[in-house]
Amino acid sequence: MIVVPRSVRRLVHATAAVALALVALLSGAPVRAADTLNVYSIWPENWARPMFEEFEKASGIKVNFVRFSSGEALARVIAEKNNPRVDVLFGGPVETFAAGIAEGVFEPYKPPTFGKLPARFRHPDGQWTAIADDPLVFMTNDKFLKEHGLNAPASWNDLLNPAYKNMLQMADARTSGTAVTRIFSVIEVNGRDENKAFDYMKKLRPQVQLYTKSGGGGTLPVGLGQAGAGIFFIVDALDTKAKGYDVTISFPREGIGTSAEAIALIKGAKNPEQAKKLIDWATSPAMQNLFAKYKINFVPAHPDVALEPSLAEVLKGTKIFPIDADYAGANRKRVVDRWVAEVLNP
Amino acid sequence: MSAAGVAPTAVVAGRPSRDIGIALTVAALWLLLALFVVYPLVMLFARMLGMLGGRGSVDFGALLALLTDRNQLRAFWNSLLLAFLVGTVGTLAGFLFAFTATRCRLPRAAVTAIDASVLLPLVSPPFTTAIAMIFSFGPRGLITYGVFGLKGYTVYGLGATLFSEALTYFPIAYLTLRPILTAIDSNIEGMAQSLGASRWRVFRTVTLPLTVPGIANAFLLLFAASLADFATPLILAGNSFPVLPTQAYLQITGLFDLRGGAALSFALLVPALIVFLLQRYWVSRRFYVTITGKGAGQTPFDSVSPGGRIVLIASVISITVVVAYFYALLLYASLVVALGANHTPTLAHYRVIFTDGWNAIRDTLIIAGFSMPLGGLYGILLGYLVTRHRFPGRRTMEAVSMMNYALPGTIVGIAYLIAFNDPPLVLTGTALIIIACYVFRYGPTGIRATVALLQQIDPSLEEASQGLGARSGTTFRRVTLPLIMPAFFAGLGIVFIRSMTAISATIFLVSISWTLITVKILEDITELSLGPAAAFSVLVVVIVFVVVAGISRVLREFRAPGAPGVSLFGG
Repeated sequence: MIVVPRSVRRLVHATAAVALALVALLSGAPVRAADTLNVYSIWPENWARPMFEEFEKASGIKVNFVRFSSGEALARVIAEKNNPRVDVLFGGPVETFAAGIAEGVFEPYKPPTFGKLPARFRHPDGQWTAIADDPLVFMTNDKFLKEHGLNAPASWNDLLNPAYKNMLQMADARTSGTAVTRIFSVIEVNGRDENKAFDYMKKLRPQVQLYTKSGGGGTLPVGLGQAGAGIFFIVDALDTKAKGYDVTISFPREGIGTSAEAIALIKGAKNPEQAKKLIDWATSPAMQNLFAKYKINFVPAHPDVALEPSLAEVLKGTKIFPIDADYAGANRKRVVDRWVAEVLNP
Repeated sequence: MSAAGVAPTAVVAGRPSRDIGIALTVAALWLLLALFVVYPLVMLFARMLGMLGGRGSVDFGALLALLTDRNQLRAFWNSLLLAFLVGTVGTLAGFLFAFTATRCRLPRAAVTAIDASVLLPLVSPPFTTAIAMIFSFGPRGLITYGVFGLKGYTVYGLGATLFSEALTYFPIAYLTLRPILTAIDSNIEGMAQSLGASRWRVFRTVTLPLTVPGIANAFLLLFAASLADFATPLILAGNSFPVLPTQAYLQITGLFDLRGGAALSFALLVPALIVFLLQRYWVSRRFYVTITGKGAGQTPFDSVSPGGRIVLIASVISITVVVAYFYALLLYASLVVALGANHTPTLAHYRVIFTDGWNAIRDTLIIAGFSMPLGGLYGILLGYLVTRHRFPGRRTMEAVSMMNYALPGTIVGIAYLIAFNDPPLVLTGTALIIIACYVFRYGPTGIRATVALLQQIDPSLEEASQGLGARSGTTFRRVTLPLIMPAFFAGLGIVFIRSMTAISATIFLVSISWTLITVKILEDITELSLGPAAAFSVLVVVIVFVVVAGISRVLREFRAPGAPGVSLFGG
């Protein structure tokens, strides 16, 4: 004869009841309230979070956000087009936004600062607006340079030096906006002669140890000396230096690209008014004056915001050119496909 | 894996069920299976063929071009090669551990130490060893450069991926093989020896043949685990060794080519299904034969020579040291400012995960907390019904319930994303989609445990209850349920562990409202914020250890004297 302990029966009943009740509860969609906003951030959390906290302080609107690298974020926004999950796409190189325009995922919106911004920091129709500028740099490990008796690379061709064989890390163009900006930089310094640019990238391929999933993915290996050098956005490079790693930042004399970081309103956003408030705030000096305070080494996009002195020092005398957003947007997919086929997997 | 994989058909009670409660439960389970197993896979297939949701008709030329692309083909073969090697190396290591634990007459404390060191990789997020690899190997690695002074060595590639996956998954082989080696009647080995066979000959002609089905089972489990793993190759495989799960992931999240990603996933389906079928119909059948019944008085058999014993123990210790080294490094990384640059002790990373990462911790615990009872309940209900009741499509139900378990997580995750992003059933962005994924992917462990247990319990007990007038619901609650409680808790345990550590499917399902610790760890690793990643990993290990210890305690309470034991990891 088997006696069932009462506790067992109670356990089973409770389990079933609790489970059913809470499944109903958990299936709810994201909160739609007067004072919240949903955002995909392409900026890493440690920069996005203080900005959103400051925004909440200024406006009383709480920002729920999740961070993805630019390719992943864009893929999500496109996937959710019929039923958008977020209101704003925040940060990330402009060419990511250009690709989004082609998919029709943004709602044009011109913030009050729109008229003040230089033409390259705003989309003519207001599909996106820039919040910062981010030049690419070469970053090299100091010990590596010393060991090989080299100076920091000062030309794109310096990276072809045999010493760098299998010692470079840079981002993978399939997932990273940094990589796409880098590829368009190479195309630009080669006078938009794509074949010439790809010849260079193919020559660079054996030097590359790893193409990382995200733009900043190679910074720590370079800091640790696991890799000798890489091409990164200046924010990531200066961040590595600030963490205490001995690295040198340098620029190629042929020039290197810079990419505006943008913000855009998602078409069909469920909290459009709050979203517009965030865009107004982010494109104004209100946010961009905070970059220095939080040691975010972006170049502010708004002309009234002064460049932080140490950042100005790093950028002195360098040749930096903007990536043409229209050209990059129109050619992105083709160029990335070609890069995958000819450079990544020859 | 215990004897759980055996086909249950032989012991079904011969009584067709007319009970309305049973009929309703069966209908409900079919509905759930249709919704969360069949529907997503059908949608994935339909999307791939361009029958719905896509823009315009499918370009079969492009699809074929993608599938026959030299690089994707290489990734396909690489995946198979990696899975084969992980299966081989992991099974060898698992056998070594199991054989040492059961045949070397170790003191109890030593066996406990082995168990603990084996549990560690099993309960950790699958890529924690990958973090440690990045630190240890490479041009400036702690080991390659620091210890051996090697220069120009790069970690990324087949070797590192194999090493990391084998280390992560070999405990599955250990847990599969240990009960089998224990179950072999040592009298048989003793007899062989007294007939004049050398120790080596006894091992070769008696012990090994009896273990072969278990070895094959372990190999196939590891093969499947490796085939489904995309996170380790994402970090360690580099660019010279692409594998298919990672390619499918990049195709979808990087290039937003859902159709291509689906196609690549279905290419993975072929070897995954072959492995599943092999395991289900070949290995699990042969498995049973090796269980030779309850041994009478066991005469200890001196199966290992003193020299061999030293070699075995030394090998086990060296692997244990490697495991311990990796996790010590992980703990250390979580406690210093920046490993490799600034080794000042700090608790800052823990502060980060409990402030910025708190949402992920809370969400993960909530999701794991719900998946656990639901998965346990689902496991015993389905296991009970297919074993004890006859209804149309019973065997199909069992096969369907195993599908999400047998398929690589990447496929399951992508299928859920496609199926539940658009009406009629919009679930993306909710916790429910993640919970459903866990329940239907890891619940089957509970099903197997339930089936195995019920096969060893005489149906006459339940028939007596019904004969006395109890309804089947009452009989189930008052007679069957207490007997299969161990299976319930085994199911709970596995679903909880997987909910805390799995990523391959759920990386596609996290959202603004619900994120997971494992996804945060992966993000941290790709951003190389290694401190927080290490702190998260340590936290996961601690939580899982505590919960597993709690469940094991309850499990012991519920095990009636003489009832068959169910390992928490038996599946």
